Order: sequence, then C-alpha cells, then structure tokens
Amino acid sequence: MTAGVQAVDWLAIGPVLGPAVAALLVLALDAVVGARRTRLVDPIAVAGLLVGLVLLVPQGGGATFCTAPGRCSYVVSSLSLSLQAVVLVAALVALLLAIGLRDRLPRTELHLLVLTATAGACALAAARDYATLAVALETASLPLVALVALRRDGRGAEAGLKLLMTSVVSFGLLALGIALVYASTGSLYLGRPVATALGDLRAAHGVGLALVVAGAAFKLSLVPFHLWTPDTYAGAPLPVAAFLSTVSKVAGLSAVVLVLAVGAPERAGDWAAPVGVLAAVTMTVGNLVALRQRTAVRLLAWSTVAQAGWVVLPLAGAVSASRVTSAVSASLGYLLAYVVATLAAFAVVVRVAESHPDGARHPLTAYAGLWRRRPALALVLGFALLCLAGLPPGVMGVVAKIVAIAPVVGVGAYGLVAVAVVNVVLGVAVYLRWAAGLVASGEAIGEAPSATGATPVAHRLALALGAGGCVALSVLPQLVAAVLARVPLR
Amino acid sequence: MSLLLLLLITLPLGAAFALLLLPRVVGDHLAPSVGVAASALTLGVALLTLGARPWSTGTPVLELDAPWIPAIGVRLHLVLDGVSAPLVLLTAGLGLAVTLLTARAAPSGGSVRSLVVCLLVVEGGALATFTASDLLLFFVAFEVVLVPMWAVIRWWGDPHEPALRHDAAARFVLYTALGSAVMLAGLLLVTLQAGSSDIVALTAAHGAAMGRTTQVVAAALLVGGLAVKVPIWPLHTWLAPAHTAAPTVGSVLLAGVLLKMGTYGLARVVVPVVPEGFAAVAPTLAVLGVVGILWGGLACLVERDLKRLVAFSSVAHMGFVALGIASGTPQGLQGALFANVAHGVITGLLFVVAGGLKDRFASARLADIGGGLRDRSPRLGGLLALGCVAGLGLPGLAGFWGEILAVYGSWRDGVFWKSLAVLAVIGTALAAAYLLRVLRAVWHGESDQPVGADATGVELAVTLPLVVLTVVLGLVPWLLLRLTEPTVQHLLGLGRGAV
Repeated sequence: MTAGVQAVDWLAIGPVLGPAVAALLVLALDAVVGARRTRLVDPIAVAGLLVGLVLLVPQGGGATFCTAPGRCSYVVSSLSLSLQAVVLVAALVALLLAIGLRDRLPRTELHLLVLTATAGACALAAARDYATLAVALETASLPLVALVALRRDGRGAEAGLKLLMTSVVSFGLLALGIALVYASTGSLYLGRPVATALGDLRAAHGVGLALVVAGAAFKLSLVPFHLWTPDTYAGAPLPVAAFLSTVSKVAGLSAVVLVLAVGAPERAGDWAAPVGVLAAVTMTVGNLVALRQRTAVRLLAWSTVAQAGWVVLPLAGAVSASRVTSAVSASLGYLLAYVVATLAAFAVVVRVAESHPDGARHPLTAYAGLWRRRPALALVLGFALLCLAGLPPGVMGVVAKIVAIAPVVGVGAYGLVAVAVVNVVLGVAVYLRWAAGLVASGEAIGEAPSATGATPVAHRLALALGAGGCVALSVLPQLVAAVLARVPLR
Repeated sequence: MSLLLLLLITLPLGAAFALLLLPRVVGDHLAPSVGVAASALTLGVALLTLGARPWSTGTPVLELDAPWIPAIGVRLHLVLDGVSAPLVLLTAGLGLAVTLLTARAAPSGGSVRSLVVCLLVVEGGALATFTASDLLLFFVAFEVVLVPMWAVIRWWGDPHEPALRHDAAARFVLYTALGSAVMLAGLLLVTLQAGSSDIVALTAAHGAAMGRTTQVVAAALLVGGLAVKVPIWPLHTWLAPAHTAAPTVGSVLLAGVLLKMGTYGLARVVVPVVPEGFAAVAPTLAVLGVVGILWGGLACLVERDLKRLVAFSSVAHMGFVALGIASGTPQGLQGALFANVAHGVITGLLFVVAGGLKDRFASARLADIGGGLRDRSPRLGGLLALGCVAGLGLPGLAGFWGEILAVYGSWRDGVFWKSLAVLAVIGTALAAAYLLRVLRAVWHGESDQPVGADATGVELAVTLPLVVLTVVLGLVPWLLLRLTEPTVQHLLGLGRGAV
C-alpha cells in the first residue's frame, strides 16, 4: 500500500457496518424526531441486524485494512463468518425479546447499545491485530454496562456497577497482556508466525498471552473470573441477560481463539493444559452451584458458567499446532449449540416472567404444570433444556457433547475426560431438575392466571427462532459438527 | 427389504411424535389405539425381517447406509444379523405387550398419551440400539431411552410413595448417564484411534488398527460404561429401586429391553472391536459377574418385596450373561446371548405378574400378598409358578440352556476359570432356593386372605406368548442357538462349527 489512504473492502466489513449504521440511524432519528416516535426505531434496529446477516452470504474471503501483504487488520475467514452469524442471530433474538417486553425499556438507548455491542462483537470476530481486538472487545462490552442498568433501579445499578468494575479490571489485564506480547514479538498482528526463538522473552510472551486470555475469560465467565455473572444476570432486564449469555460469550470466545489459536498456535503445547484446567474447574463449579439455585434466572446464569467450561474444553485438545484447527472447530460447534439452546430457554423464561408476580426473579416452582397451562412454552423449554443437558431428543446437544469431548479423548487427557464425564452427569441433574417441574402436577405457586396476556409478535418470533434453531440443528447435526471443518484459521 | 430397518425405528418414533403434536382432546382419546397399532405394526416389520434369513450367515443380512454427520464421519448405518435379530423380536414383542397393558389398564400418574409416547420412544430407541452399526449412532440410540424411562418411573411409578419414586427415577437417570458418558469416552477413543466408527468394518478388522494399550483403555471404558446398564455388581444399586418404583410396563421394559442394551453392547462393540483389550479386562468382568450371581442370589434369599426380589434375581441372571461373554468362548457367548433373551422373556413374565399383584394388594411384599395364591387366583398363581421354575433354570424351560452354556463356556483351562464356573453353579442352587421360597410364601399354603381377582384378559393375552416362548425355547433351544451361531463365530473371528 503505497498510497496514504488504504483501500477498504466495503463488502467484507458489511456484517459490521449493518448494525453500526443502524445504530447511527437510531441516534439520528432520536435527534431529529425526538422521543415521540420511538416505534420507528424498532424496525431500523431489526433491519440493521438482518442486513448484517444478509451481507454474510456473498462473502468469499479476503482481507482489508492492510498495511502490507499478510499484515491485515480485518480478515474474512470461515472463523469470522461463523462467529458473526452466531452473534447477529443471537443479538436479533435478544433484541426481539427486549422489544416485546410489557414493561418497556427506553427504546433509543436500548437499540443504540445493542447495535453498538453487536457491531463490536462482529468486528472482533474478524480482527487480526491486537489493537483492533482490544477496541472491538471493549466496543462489545462497555455498552452492556449501560444495558444492564437500563431499568434505572437499585438492582440494575448494582448489577451495572459490578459489570463496570469487571470490565475495567478485564480491560486492564487485556492491555497489559497486549503490551507484553507486543514487547516480546515486536508485532501487533495476529496470524504472523510467532518467532520460534523468542529466547528470554518466551516467558514474557507467555505471561502476555495468559493476561489477554484472563481479560477475555471475564466475558466468557470462566472460573475464577465469573463472580460478576449471577448478580449481573439477576439484576439486568432478562433480554439483556440473554444478550450477555450469548453475544458476550461469543465475543469472549472469539478473543480467546484469536489470541491462542490464531495468534500463537505454535505455542499450543503451552496453553492447552492451562485452558483444560480452566475448563474443568469452570464446568464443575458452574454445575455444582447451578444444582442449588432456586430462581430460573440464577440457574441459567450458573448454567452459562458451566457451559462456558464446555465451550473451551476442546481447546485443551490442541496440544500441537496440527490439532489447533479441529479443536477450534469443536469449540465453535459447541458454542453454536449452546447459544441456540440458551436463546430458546431465555425466550421462555421471559414469557414466564411476564405473567409472574415476581417478574424476572420468579422461582423454579413457577414452572410447575407449565405443560398443562401453556404446552407450547413447556415444549420449547423442555427441548432446550434437554439440548443443554445433551440428552436425546435434544440431538443437537448430544452431538455437541461428542464434538467437545472428542479432541480431549484424542490426545489421551484422561483426567480431563473424567472431569467431563462427571459434568455430563451433573448437567443432567441440573437440567432435569428444572424440566421435571414442567410436567409436575399441582398448581404453580403464586401465578396470577389473569396476567397471562397474548404473546406479542416479537416474542413469538424470538420463540420461533430459538425453538426452530434447536430443532433444525437436532435434525441436521452436521451444522454443529462442521462449523469450521478443514478450514485454515490464518 | 433394507427399508424394513428404517421402518422398524421410524414406526414407533414417528407414532410417538405424531401423538405428541395432536390436539389434547383427540390425542388423549386416540393414544392407546395409536400405541397398540404402532407397536403391532413394528412387531410385524420385525417378523418380516426374518425373511432375510439372519441365521444363514455371520455377516449382516440387512443393511442400510446413509450419511448423517459427515464432518465427524457418523453414518446412519443400520444392520440386522443373527445377534440383533432375537433382540429386535424381543423388543418389538414386549413393546406390543406394554402398549396393550397400557391401553387396557393404564397406571395412574399422568395422561395416557404421554405414557404411550414414552413407551414408544423407549421401543424405538432400543430398536435403533440393536440395529445401529456406527459407534456414535449406537451411543445416540443408547441415550434415547433415558429420558422417557426416567419419566415413566417418575410419573407413572408407585403412586403410594412419590418421594421414593422420584428418588428411584433420579438414581436411574444419573447412573445410566454416568455409564453412557464413560462409554462415550471409550467409543470416541476407538473411533479416533481406529479411524472409523463403523462397527461392521471394525469387526472385520478385529482391532488391527489399534495398539494393545489403546485397546485395553478402550475396553475398560466401554465395559465400565456398559456395566452400569447391564447391571454388573457393584454398579447395580440403581436397579432395585427403579424396578420397585416403576409401573408394570416400566419394569417389563427395563428388564426385557434396557438391560439387554448393556449386554448387547458388550457382545456387539467390545468383544469384536477391541478383542485384545477385552481379553485383558475379561477376567475382572467374569469375577464381577460371578459376584453378581452370588450377591443377587443371597439378596433374594432375604428380600421381602416381590418386585425387588425379581430385580435382584435379574442381577444374578445378568451375572451369568456377563460370565458367558467374558469367557470369550463361542459356547459362552452363545449361552450369554441365549440367557439374555431368556431373561427378557421370563423376567418380563414375572414382572407382569408381580406388577399385577402389586396393583391388587397395593404392596408387593410377600407378607402382604399372603399365601395360597394357587387357590385364590389360580391363573396368576400358575403364571407366577411357571416364571419361578423357569427362572431357577429347570431343564425344559428357557432359563436352563443359556446359563448352562455360559457355565460350560467358562469351564476353561486353569483354576481361575474353573473355580468361577463352580461358583456360578452354586449360584444356580441359590436361585432354586429363593424362587422356591417365593413359591412357598405366595403360591403354596393356606390362604388367610379373601379371594382376589384373578388374571384379567389382557394380562393373559400378554403373558400367553411369553409362556409359549418360555416352553418353546426350553424344548427346542436350537431355534435360537442356530440363529446366533454364525454371527457369534464372526464376532469372535472364528470359523464355523464350534458349537
């Protein structure tokens, strides 16, 4: 690139521009028309996400924002495309859930923040240098602080503050880690071969990687970086919790995969084992605590912690550079199944919260007899829970479990396999405890039947997307198993 | 012809799915008839598969192969051969029996429709397990039965003790999920090391692509996982509560179908696929099997509840099956497969009677049922007596041949195997003791209870085929032995003509 102005491949960054432009439009509309016509912004936001999704279709690969051949900040790959697809769909469902709420959230702020965070997560997926990665990760995270506190009540403020503190700490770790990596390798670009002769700087590079992963682990809620999760989920509006547990997780995993698998596959032998330990501790703690939860949203919060462990488990099988691609593919496959099932579960939880006097804090007993009162909701939730537990008929979850365990078995890490096996059983206990309630006899405690109004269109759509995703991936589990099959990461 | 295999699985599963989606009013009304019709058709299809003459060769006679998850090499590969055919027939037969029982006298606890759906899914899942010829497809099919059986125990189980029922259901599902997960690790190890998950190909290779260490680890994981389902002592502790709490239809399916999935897995996946590894773990399996025989027998001697007693006797019977498979001889494996089917038939019969008695007396305790059943309810009493004498291995009835062959097959060189065989024979003596104890306590003796209702029409209709099978398999055992023989030779990698 001799010219001072870089040529930009506008199509390549389309999936990021869709939500970003929609965010600007929302802002402009608010400035011009004011708060009177807030209805108008709903279609704009949805359209922004849909445009992003549509622009994924013609992508063939390529790179943009390049300073030299092989030094590009934005690279389109099957990795970026699959992550962006998951992000956009998850954001769409979360947004639909928010739009349909009876107790409405402030529209302009909601859309602006959701779209910005989504654009950040989309950019992160394709980022190929540490600066873009840091900026994109923060763009995907900071709006969430405001989103969590959007209700402007005490609980929301507490939850928002917790998330803010977490974000600040995680950004600090991230920045320090990037500095160390840059100091040791002399390049900010990911996807360049890490000099095999790091020499004395090998340790500094390793610490740098660890710090960056720690920063991203906050977003993924890996233990011990998970402590903010339950309180934040419980204090946030439910659709925002759904966004946190899906889009944020995808962003967190994107960062981990970029830093470790794209940035330092040569050092896979060094990072695989620590990641395995994180995965083992995370899934065990998450499941054990989830077993004792009494409210739906807290159970889901701890379940997302446990599932985050499963998401990173396959990376522990990447003990050599040649195994990295298949490990990442397995990780993304599990992520896809997890996101779809979690969205379906959240869609039902939002509906139940709408008709329950305790709202978002409703206990698990609110689901007693749901199968008789509202069979469609019970069917969707039951299926989503079986998918999360990995039991047929939730074939999607079964295949995801197979895909996630396979890399670990493949390298003979039997200690980790043993932990995973125990966690399969714990997961079954966690999710069946909830599912059993759906068909339980006896009346739900504390529900006001009259409060059950008609389901808004937005919620119908969200439910249909979540349930349809679970069913489609269960009928065609190939999609879970082959997110990235046989495609180079760099 | 190969489409029969697909039909075999899609008939029950499809019917269950259709029932689930029907509107409530229509669905509840139609459920029993749909269930009976679907399982009757399935039985018809199962009988039609015999037209492919599975006894003629050791390799599959029916085969269906289609891609399913190409990314991880999993194919929708279904086969039928001499080992799967008897179990397919048994499952389809018992499937019809339980839907008939449900249609006539549904247990209380939930809607009939949901129960029929659960029963059909169990049937379909079991049929898929018995025909799956891909390791991971086998795993998925193996897991299909889990949730519906959990539901059957949890909601339609013993109405008198909900807490025990819930506990039994949870114990069942968690134990079996643990077993499945361990088995999955073994299946994945084989798949990744051998580079294929196709059971037909892996059987033909006889472990050639895997080193000894891999084989031993894989065999240990597979046997350990399957042992929960069989169940092998000391992993049997979920069985008695599950059987006690389950409704009659659940007990019949548990004993007649679900336990068979474990032993089938041993014979189908472990023995031929990792032969060297299995040889290493076989002595352990044999010892645990014999411990199970003696433990189950001793437990039965003091057990006061008829359903628990039959459950513990299952542990003993499955101990014989484990011993026969572990022996690694064609006679032992043949005997194990025979005992497997015989146990399904006899225990199915016993659970129909025990469940019927529990429904009548609101308790299955021998003391509550009281003596003199042959006078009070001659038909039920007769069925119980036949089940008991068949269970204790009376020559001329189905229970005899499998266990005698299993013991004969394990009479190998060396003190170790010979002493195991002797201990197993002592186990048959225990079986005689405890089953005669049941007959003395319930069938024989003076009646101090009022004359109760005798076997109903549907109970007779369901048990009659089981009685006929018990007698026929006892008198002409070669019917079943000839069916399994070529395949057993093939699984063990031997030439023909050893039995």
